[in-house]
Amino acid sequence: MQNQEGLQADGEVKSATSVPATEFDEWANFADNDIMQQHSAIHAEEAEKIPYVADKEPLSSLAAEYQSGSTILLEKIKVLNEQYASIRRTRGDGNCFFRSFMFSYLEHILESQDQAEVNRIKANVEECRKTLQGLGYTDFTFEDFFTLFIEQLDSVLQGNEDSISHDELVVRSRDQSISDYVVMFFRFVTAGEIQKRSEFFEPFIMGLTNATVEQFCKSSVEPMGEESDHVHITALSDALGVPIRVVYLDRSSCDNGGVSVNHHDFIPADSNLPNASGGKTFSPFITLLYRPGHYDILYQK
Amino acid sequence: MQASRARLFKEYKEVQREKVADPDIQLACDDTNIFKWTALIKGPSETPYEGGVFQLAFAVPEQYPLQPPQVRFLTKIFHPNVHFKTGEICLDILKNAWSPAWTLQSVCRAIIALMAHPEPDSPLNCDSGNLLRSGDIRGFHSMARMYTRLAAMPKKG
Repeated sequence: MQNQEGLQADGEVKSATSVPATEFDEWANFADNDIMQQHSAIHAEEAEKIPYVADKEPLSSLAAEYQSGSTILLEKIKVLNEQYASIRRTRGDGNCFFRSFMFSYLEHILESQDQAEVNRIKANVEECRKTLQGLGYTDFTFEDFFTLFIEQLDSVLQGNEDSISHDELVVRSRDQSISDYVVMFFRFVTAGEIQKRSEFFEPFIMGLTNATVEQFCKSSVEPMGEESDHVHITALSDALGVPIRVVYLDRSSCDNGGVSVNHHDFIPADSNLPNASGGKTFSPFITLLYRPGHYDILYQK
Repeated sequence: MQASRARLFKEYKEVQREKVADPDIQLACDDTNIFKWTALIKGPSETPYEGGVFQLAFAVPEQYPLQPPQVRFLTKIFHPNVHFKTGEICLDILKNAWSPAWTLQSVCRAIIALMAHPEPDSPLNCDSGNLLRSGDIRGFHSMARMYTRLAAMPKKG
């Protein structure tokens, strides 16, 4: 009971400051805050390597990464090369799926100027707001994040006073005060959708952890930096009604000897997509490259 | 900075409204600095902290609510997850499980819940944690009770 000597001495509880600091004390005080500072130092180091959203690079830069590595991966990148022209990397900070989705979606709206799509997603965002309210979330905990996303959406549409260029979109995606708020908006939307349809998501969540649906959202969806799984992607895609293609680049090979690259399309549960009826011609405007533990953005040729 | 200020102002208004709703928590903002808050929380009943009033200090970072507030006990408390000297609290939502869905008010509720349900397997106060882990519930209770009386209850006479 070394910590309580103050009490034994004179029957009063002394504050820590009255004890002269020794080297031992410094170690004794090395606590969670120091660990958190260490974490943010590591993040800062990571930040110097790559911004939240990097510049577009030709796909050959991906091959260069594996030059002396797995031949299966190099073969697969060749296959990717037939369909995809470039890659845009995102920082591996646990938010890469949401960040990739954010940039990809806003860039698509900026380039397509698809007012109908903007109106459609805004209606879905309103639904998400009601979902969170229905689940008992306090308005002021999420409304700032919603507002900021709608602002970004409006500003990529041209012809307004607040319209922004593609360069400005890149700048904003790298600005923490905007980028992280949009990521957090998606986290709220995802958590709301999972809890609204908890019966649907429960078996998938039980496959990942022992947590209840609510615990899962509290510990693995809402906190920044928590990585995304198929549960998050399904929920976000469903909630916003935006299809997402995820292309898998891993070492798995096919039995028939040939190399092919798998992809999975996340198609919103209840939506009549503009081009979903086209069957084979269906191509989501968001394509992400998944390598175990990380998502980047892919661009079609 | 602007975002955190706006958010804290909303919390301030909410606290004024909730004061009556939750008699166990008195949360107050510093008169001159909206990033500094203090709270008085009541020790939960049927715990060694019952009858005590514990003061918490909040330091809110500029990145709030993306980053958690720093919270510590100003009142001395004998609890496995509170540092005996610094008052630092080991609670997941104040660290990696933080999200903006939490508020200063709900953090206070979480701390009250932690007082009632210690987690002796991740102790900041090893003496306290060891008592609970070795099954000496009586020993833990009497130590915690003694500090509650000494530090968290009004002095008699």
